[in-house]
Amino acid sequence: MITIENLTKFYGKHRAVNDISFTINDNEILGFLGPNGAGKSTTMNMITGYLPMSAGKVVINGVDITQDPVKAKRDIGYLPEIPPVYPDMKVKEYLNFCAGLKRVPLGKKRDEVKRVMELLKITDVSGKLIRNLSKGYKQRVGFAQALIGNPKFLILDEPTVGLDPNQVIEVRKIIRDLKKDHSVIFSSHILSEVSEVCDRVVIINKGDIRAIDTIENLEKSFNSQLVLHIKVKGNKTTAASIIEMTKGIKEITAIDDEGSDIYSFTVDLDGDADAIRNVLMAELLKNQVTILEIYTDKPNLENVFIELVNRPVKKNTLKELLEEMAPAEDAAESDGSSEEKEEK
Amino acid sequence: MFPIYKKELHSFFFTPFAYALTTLFLLLFTYMISGKVANIDSPIAHFSYTEVFYNVIIYFIFLIPIMTMRTFSDERKLGTEVLLMTSPVSVLKIVIAKFLANVTVFLFMIAGTSVFPILTEHYGSVVYSQLICAYIGFFCWGTMFICVGMLISSFVESSIIAAIIGEMIMFAFLFLDDFANSGFISQYPKLQSVLYSFAAQPRFAYFSAGFIRLSDIVFFASAIIVLLSWTYISIEKRRWKRG
Repeated sequence: MITIENLTKFYGKHRAVNDISFTINDNEILGFLGPNGAGKSTTMNMITGYLPMSAGKVVINGVDITQDPVKAKRDIGYLPEIPPVYPDMKVKEYLNFCAGLKRVPLGKKRDEVKRVMELLKITDVSGKLIRNLSKGYKQRVGFAQALIGNPKFLILDEPTVGLDPNQVIEVRKIIRDLKKDHSVIFSSHILSEVSEVCDRVVIINKGDIRAIDTIENLEKSFNSQLVLHIKVKGNKTTAASIIEMTKGIKEITAIDDEGSDIYSFTVDLDGDADAIRNVLMAELLKNQVTILEIYTDKPNLENVFIELVNRPVKKNTLKELLEEMAPAEDAAESDGSSEEKEEK
Repeated sequence: MFPIYKKELHSFFFTPFAYALTTLFLLLFTYMISGKVANIDSPIAHFSYTEVFYNVIIYFIFLIPIMTMRTFSDERKLGTEVLLMTSPVSVLKIVIAKFLANVTVFLFMIAGTSVFPILTEHYGSVVYSQLICAYIGFFCWGTMFICVGMLISSFVESSIIAAIIGEMIMFAFLFLDDFANSGFISQYPKLQSVLYSFAAQPRFAYFSAGFIRLSDIVFFASAIIVLLSWTYISIEKRRWKRG
């Protein structure tokens, strides 16, 4: 287990990481999510002992990283943002060097290097100079380096950046497989990626933790707000009144006039989406309104993430945040103006 | 520690780097020797290896910084510093491993010169006691400047700048004794003696004259320890200061 307590980092007067605390449990994949410049890399550098912290504590498996760095670092495999590879070395030489650096016993070195090369599918480039490899391969060599010596904790800083879609899927699969006997901290600025791989997620922006929650809770909160899109041809008022009258419809959030009697409605749902859709279709057809298009949609995950990240208040769970967000959006205008007045 | 030492040697010997450097050095050394040998018939000619070593030092202030310039600045540039710093090896061991690797390359360069005494022995005789003293002195002197070069390399991110600054500092060191003996400084005997005690050149001169003085050995050893500690502190300090 890694425990992070009140971790703070100042760069001069600038506070890059502000008093953050969380834990990484055994056999867990923890997503570390935030926009660029949120303090993700700084935090990871502090966890791995590369950067000293201005305040706070990082305890790895019961060992404080500042008290006994050599012992603590034995349990860590780190893939920084830029893969730390020597361009003048061949892949195999480089991994052998890393194995020595991580104190893999001499007898096991060869097997260990072979194991990570097979795992990341870089055996076919083992004799090539790293400088001649493509970015994707370099990234994988860096990843292999982190896995050498089978450390208990893997800290991966944006491991899928720069990979092609196939490789991204492969790397995600590897990370999921690693869960069996490792704990992984995985940073990204892409929410969908984190939700696909991680058990739990820490959302961070400008050095502050915005939310820590499980992916299930995260998804639940998103799924509870389904949005229905309907495109109809016919009388606008009739269609609008039918839609509004239908049970389970919360409200119409937008009506777009697309010309020649075609209108598209965006509707918030409250209840079973399939049932509502069936009822709605039947009613509309009965009233001679032609349906051109109808589909339900989750709210845009990325937009929710952006909202979350830009919230000024620090909240413990995602749910609390989302709950707070809903009324705020309703009365955005009045709220905004009153806040401004208060500030003045 | 050993893997880092091995990797450093690898980066010297599995690239043309060490060989190019050694060739250049031997070229200069041969030039000095052949110049001396060519004048051997003139009445004022005087030939000794110690003197050759003494003369060759001026070229060495260009060679050592080139050797040491990459030590830390390249790691930083490539981002591999993170790898070293996050692996279970202490910073002190990293510094020592890199120091030993540089010294090994230096020894390789000096070893190349041994061909000349062997040739001389074939045609005449060599004063071994003096020769060994000269080698020890040269080794001490070079090792000290390797430490200077490493320290500069830990300060800056560009290896070329590390080399240039290193050359300037070594140049200053080389003429420190001349400066201390200059008319202006001799007016202040205390200042002169302080400056003079920092000069490595006269100490090397003692070695090449065939003396092994304890004070000289202590001077070089303490300079090496101070410079290596300073390198260690500078690396740690950089980690604390920046991102």
